[in-house]
Amino acid sequence: MVLAEYKPTRSQLLQVRKTLKLAERGHRLLKLKRDALMIEFFQVLERAREVRSNIVDRYQDAAGKLAVASAIEGRVGVRSASHALLQKPELELTTRNVMGIVVPKIKAEKVRKRIDERGYGIIGTSPRIDAAAEAYEELVEDVIVAAEIETTMRRLIEEIEKVKRRVNALEHRVIPELEDTERFIRLRLEEMERENIFRLKRFKEAGA
Amino acid sequence: MEIAVAGSEEFVLGFRLAGIRKAVGAAPEELERAVDALLEDEDVGILVLRSDEMAGLSAGLRRRLEVVPQPVVIAVGGAEEEDLRTKVKRAIGVDLFRTT
Repeated sequence: MVLAEYKPTRSQLLQVRKTLKLAERGHRLLKLKRDALMIEFFQVLERAREVRSNIVDRYQDAAGKLAVASAIEGRVGVRSASHALLQKPELELTTRNVMGIVVPKIKAEKVRKRIDERGYGIIGTSPRIDAAAEAYEELVEDVIVAAEIETTMRRLIEEIEKVKRRVNALEHRVIPELEDTERFIRLRLEEMERENIFRLKRFKEAGA
Repeated sequence: MEIAVAGSEEFVLGFRLAGIRKAVGAAPEELERAVDALLEDEDVGILVLRSDEMAGLSAGLRRRLEVVPQPVVIAVGGAEEEDLRTKVKRAIGVDLFRTT
């Protein structure tokens, strides 16, 4: 904003004051939004860390069980069991709104299956394959939870950054510039008024 | 909708055991194309990748994985993601993932 752009008139002064008031109100509201987003973020962060650490543990456990199954049954045995599976996990993806941010809500079905629902024969495969399949089903369950939470966290972070940039722009640029403009117009109007009074005095003196 | 997994054969085999049909086993040089195809698939709700393999993807594709609204992309096999950590640090101003 360049001061020279503004004409020092009464209506312009009122206009700038109105804009300044609006900017201050926006600044206050955005600060409140930023704080509320931060609170939401910290709540999600706790859950995200918990789920992430679960995934790390479960993945190690599942990979270990798969390695044992592969070592005993052979990779071909494990692979053929994996191809025999009949039911696949089904997802239902909807969205919900957290303070104006659209975050995913994931509902899953048929992730955990009973041994007889898996499709491969009970007799033809060993308990090691069952254990690996169960461990991976648990991992998939956690992955679904993590997908929801981590995406929510990502979107919250992006929004916090955006709101923070807006708050800073208002606080350090827009509001100070509007205050400067308001001061400039006010002082210029006062100066013009003084000039006018002086001119009137001179007229009066000349007339007398 | 379905869950999809992409990565090395060893990585996807376990997920196949859990009943995931869209488990694409691909060599490292083929992975980008496989991920790209899964991103285009409208039936994929969640895409699971291995952390270290995801880090090896091109910067453009990684950026796309971050911003794409669907599928939700999740990395398995590593602790906190480095980019998430940097983002949190930039947004909050504090490194919340620091352990020491």
